[in-house]
Amino acid sequence: MKILVFVKQVLDSEAKINIQDDKKSLDFEERFSLNFFDEFAIEEAIRVKEKVKNCEVVAVSLGSRKAQEVLRTSIAMGVDRAVLIETEKYNIWDPYFTAKVLSGFAEKEGFNLIFCGERAMDDENGVVGVLIAENLKIPYVGSVVKIEVMDTNKVVVDSEIDGSFFGYEVELPALFSLRKGINEPRVPAITGVMKAMRAQIAFVDPYSLLSIPLTQKTEIVRFEFPGKRPAVKIIEGQSPEEKVKKLISLLKQEAKVI
Amino acid sequence: MAKDVLVYIELKDRSVRKVSYEAIEAGKRLRKFFSSKLHVAIIGFQVEILAEYVKGHADYVHVVDEEYLTDFTIDNYAEILHMLVEKTSSSFVIGSHAGYGRFILPKLSGMLDWAILADVTGFELENGRLLFKKPLFGGRVLSYVEVKEGNKVVTTLRPNSFSVSEPSLSGEVIREKIETKKDKKIRFLRAERKEEKKVDLQEADFIICGGRGMKAPENFKILEEIADIMGGRVGASRSVVDANWREYEEQIGKSGKTVSPVLYIGCGVSGAIHHTMGIDTSKTIVAINSDPNAPIFNIADYGIVDDIFAILPVLKEELKKAKEEV
Repeated sequence: MKILVFVKQVLDSEAKINIQDDKKSLDFEERFSLNFFDEFAIEEAIRVKEKVKNCEVVAVSLGSRKAQEVLRTSIAMGVDRAVLIETEKYNIWDPYFTAKVLSGFAEKEGFNLIFCGERAMDDENGVVGVLIAENLKIPYVGSVVKIEVMDTNKVVVDSEIDGSFFGYEVELPALFSLRKGINEPRVPAITGVMKAMRAQIAFVDPYSLLSIPLTQKTEIVRFEFPGKRPAVKIIEGQSPEEKVKKLISLLKQEAKVI
Repeated sequence: MAKDVLVYIELKDRSVRKVSYEAIEAGKRLRKFFSSKLHVAIIGFQVEILAEYVKGHADYVHVVDEEYLTDFTIDNYAEILHMLVEKTSSSFVIGSHAGYGRFILPKLSGMLDWAILADVTGFELENGRLLFKKPLFGGRVLSYVEVKEGNKVVTTLRPNSFSVSEPSLSGEVIREKIETKKDKKIRFLRAERKEEKKVDLQEADFIICGGRGMKAPENFKILEEIADIMGGRVGASRSVVDANWREYEEQIGKSGKTVSPVLYIGCGVSGAIHHTMGIDTSKTIVAINSDPNAPIFNIADYGIVDDIFAILPVLKEELKKAKEEV
């Protein structure tokens, strides 16, 4: 059995962001992390590997050279090997295009299962997983909270949408995007970290993975910073009653929200 | 060529979700911009009656009312929408980025080989160009995105991004008979549906959110009561969910849900950036916290520095009075 896990390196929530003069590009303070939701995908793949015989887990990321870091984290957690689809000289952001590249990789590499995190924390799209499944013409279930591998041909999964749960039996190969809570991602052991430091990461050019020439379907015309919210009005008063009454009257008369 | 628009109507407990009226509103704007027709699709079982609610907002209401749709799969819905797109020759499909649309619409875009733009919060028309507004990095940057010439697009909207207008059309209701393929590689086993009459967290106009400062899970009861008075929902910070005080479904912030209510009240929420990224498009933000240095005050419009347990009972009574006056 072969499991592919697609992981993404995302900007740290607290990293500084600047919009460049052309308004079409950004620069960042160099602080990145493994996309939060992808940790669940890595963990789940390793758990399957621990249960099933002859199972290989491959972590794959599309990103700059710096994204090797998240692949090393994946190896430290327990994946067998890692591949970087290196985009250093390209500016790839369109989810349609990203999914085409990743599908091309999956097709060449071969697999029984693909795991993805539910969404990336930078663009919050949550669409690349389902697009890959569609490109590969394999079944997809999103927001998966439980996976039970029955054999190499079949899994049973539960997914959750807005508090409702749905159970499915799915034929493999298939792709699942995983929700927070499906497992508790492990902290890498020191032996894993050592292994990750020495591991060779394969590099692939994204365009080499496309079977037909394609371009991105969307383009960013400009970036803007959102308008700053005005400074907070701290409501003073002698008692909780007085403060709350003042607040209610501001919400009614000034903000007009109640 | 006319660029017709198809809107997928998201349902909840056999009623039309608020986010669907917002999607219709977005559709109406595109209809006007392209001088085209607006189609809406209602898909489900025993849903035909719902056409009455939306026909005032569309040129055509396509109803697919089939018993086999009781067993929900993304595939069935995407396949039906695919057929409706072909039938109507639409160039745009709009749906919700909450609920089921978030899964169905991207799948549809893949089937159609169209562009996809997800979690969009607005459109702007600039010199005849249509730009989609999409927040990135938890709302820290806004991007304006154009679909390249010659491409059609599926888009999903963040709830509470479009205001809803009065009905102005009188759409024709068309009952569609659509059978989906039977050779499914996904077999539906079971559903455990949550039936509740409360508004969805992402669609709520009012959210009262509890953080670590709530001290214990039982203290959320008063937040529930306030939410009920206001017809809104209770939210929770990440630490509260990680401590198993509240369900993940209620988690607001980067690793939970992004919300945009009219009024958000944070109680004992410190306001770590992970949390504030999930609320910064809210219209009015109120923070109640005993710590005057809590970062939530940097994003709040109004703040009360006090013991939340002294404030909450009064707040509940005053909000109740305010509601009764209206």
